[in-house]
Amino acid sequence: MDLSNETLQAMIAAYDGIPLSEAELELVRPELANYVAAAEQLRELDLSAVFSGRLLRMAE
Amino acid sequence: MAASDLLQLTLTDAAAAIRGRKISPIELTEAALAEAERLQPVLCSFITILYDQARREAKESEAALSRGEYRGPLHGIPIGVKDNLATAGIRTTVGSKVLADYVPDVDAEVVRRCKEAGAIILGKENLEEFAAGMTSNNAHYGAVRNPWNLDHVPGGSSGGGGANVAAGVTFASLGTDFGGSVRLPATFCGVVGLKQTFGRVSQRGLLVTSFNGDHIGAMTRTVRDCALMLQVLAGYDPLEPSTVPVPVPDYSALLGQDVKGLKIGVPVDHYFDLLNPEVDAAAHQAIAALEGLGMSVREVSLPMMKYAGALRFPAMADSVVTHEPLIEKARSQYGVDVLYRTLAGQFVLGRDYAKGMKVQRLIKEEHARVLSEVDVLVTPTAPIPAPRIADKTVVLGAKTHPVRGPGSGSVSRNTSPSNSTGLPAISVPCGFTSSGLPIGLQLIGRPFDEALLLQIAHAYEAVSPARGCRPRAIQRK
Repeated sequence: MDLSNETLQAMIAAYDGIPLSEAELELVRPELANYVAAAEQLRELDLSAVFSGRLLRMAE
Repeated sequence: MAASDLLQLTLTDAAAAIRGRKISPIELTEAALAEAERLQPVLCSFITILYDQARREAKESEAALSRGEYRGPLHGIPIGVKDNLATAGIRTTVGSKVLADYVPDVDAEVVRRCKEAGAIILGKENLEEFAAGMTSNNAHYGAVRNPWNLDHVPGGSSGGGGANVAAGVTFASLGTDFGGSVRLPATFCGVVGLKQTFGRVSQRGLLVTSFNGDHIGAMTRTVRDCALMLQVLAGYDPLEPSTVPVPVPDYSALLGQDVKGLKIGVPVDHYFDLLNPEVDAAAHQAIAALEGLGMSVREVSLPMMKYAGALRFPAMADSVVTHEPLIEKARSQYGVDVLYRTLAGQFVLGRDYAKGMKVQRLIKEEHARVLSEVDVLVTPTAPIPAPRIADKTVVLGAKTHPVRGPGSGSVSRNTSPSNSTGLPAISVPCGFTSSGLPIGLQLIGRPFDEALLLQIAHAYEAVSPARGCRPRAIQRK
């Protein structure tokens, strides 16, 4: 998945995001690349029946 | 006892000596302040040293003892507090220029508990800007240096605390851990660091963070000291909804008891994938040592860890929401590393956030299954020893990874999963590289079963090749 600068700028504009210049987008890219890679990997996983949750319980 | 000898005591021994009136809070605090002053130009481990307040508290502490009042297990003990934990009337910068003049009205709950137990706050400790990284190379307050080798980072983000505990400036330091920020300084500085179960310790007063996985924990020189600190910190806080109203056990009760017959799980997935060879060797030697103590060792499988990268999605989105008002107000005062790492979070889709939460659930279930078969998981705490301060990248496997800022995070690949699962995890020194840098072993346990984790860590500590070792780089000439 390639997120072009145009796409990112459009997202910022459409969703009232925090502005980033073209040069600043390049600085964000390494973090974005990690996100995109992890998101792409999830495509092979069916998560439709998984509940989200956080509560931890002590052993009975 | 000479001042330098006082600072070599463990917290437990110093506390006993104070209670027995063998040493006074005043002499202990003066010794710690003198060492803090001597080492600050070397380690850059504090943002604020509280000379006057610490002396005042030490006098009050001494006077209380004279009246026969013993406040608690930290009576007269000098400790450090990371500068992202609120301290009433004392500036709390969060390592940032944005909050350089921020002075909270109230103490963080953990600070209140430590004071109630008698602690003397020596100072506010340096950290990565906004606690968002693992180097503690702070653009505004200077780079914290590792007492074992001053050219290397102490780890982060609670690097000032790790350096101070290792150097013998503080007897314990309070850190915060959102991806390993207590355990990484512990491993890189050769001390003990515990991130207890999520919900065990109140986060109230922890500033500019995400609700999703941050923890406050202590770094100490021994496991017993760590148990003592957890005893002070643990407990339900009705004003902090993430704390859980479960009983607080005696965390020292199991220390010294036989670990024979307990079961260790060694994950075949993720945790041993990308290791520096010396870290790998030290971890396996530690596992052999645990086996030598009579514990049984078996491999365990955590296949969902393949998707561990998704655990970061919620944190990315949380982070941008947390920082948004500060960025709008004072963007130019942000360091570039934290600013651009944070701003990537605005591109996280809601769908991916939800997927990240579901992956978190799957990984939690998988850890719960495995921890029903073994008592603890054992992993290296960090995949590498402490990088040099000047290093911009590290090599893990065959790939180059950034150490700081956008795209970093690989160094915390073994610690950050426990922030998402909420499971307790402790780092204990387990050896050194050929160049003398510390290596840490991580033990991961069942929810709210820190007592067992501490029991095993304590048993290992006694046979660790790192036992009794102290850094030489900062010794008096």
